[in-house]
Amino acid sequence: MMTITLYAAFGILGLAIVLGLLRLARGPTVIDRILAFDLITTCAVGMIVLLCIQWKTALYLELILVFSLLGFCGTVAFVHYLSRTQDLELPDRPGGKSGHE
Amino acid sequence: MNDVLTSLLTLSGALLVLAAAIGVLRLPDVLCRAHAVAKALTLGIFLMLLGLWVDQGQKQAALKIFLAIFFQVVTIPIGSHLIALLAFEKNIPRWRHRPIEDHRRAGGSNAVPHPGGGTPSSDESDRPAH
Repeated sequence: MMTITLYAAFGILGLAIVLGLLRLARGPTVIDRILAFDLITTCAVGMIVLLCIQWKTALYLELILVFSLLGFCGTVAFVHYLSRTQDLELPDRPGGKSGHE
Repeated sequence: MNDVLTSLLTLSGALLVLAAAIGVLRLPDVLCRAHAVAKALTLGIFLMLLGLWVDQGQKQAALKIFLAIFFQVVTIPIGSHLIALLAFEKNIPRWRHRPIEDHRRAGGSNAVPHPGGGTPSSDESDRPAH
């Protein structure tokens, strides 16, 4: 039962990664792509959790911490970089003002 | 007993992560997608780490798993909030289910909301493209 559940959870997380990659491919703005990147990073963390359960080891807990730290730092770096650029490439914006306060 | 609990927690966490992925793919707007990521993904990864904690209950592993849970629960809503702030600041076109008053334009002529008035035609122009 345990192995069946673990394989089902692996399949579900793989499907979630595929859906996140779809959004990463066709996101209209950069911000959608950052969100999809965040989702994929967290799915990778969940897969490492499943590997820890399957192999019954505690070796990969540091890997969980490092992956979540890297994902968060990537998101913050992207947001910090994009918040100081003037314009995002948008498909159609009717002349709204860009945030240069 | 531990196996059953671990299986239950892990499977429900994976299903919540799948719900977050479906929300990211299907919802129409950046703010809606940030909402989906913030709630469902946090609860999903929290349940999966709880399943790991039930599975191996040693003390060092419990400390590290508690650190991982704390870090995920703190950082995922912060990241989603930063993304929503960026989308709000860059004035990304938002999804309008029906014509509502935008509070960013409330300093203009239409500061008083008209509940029975006609639909303002300016809301048609800033829909997302899809």
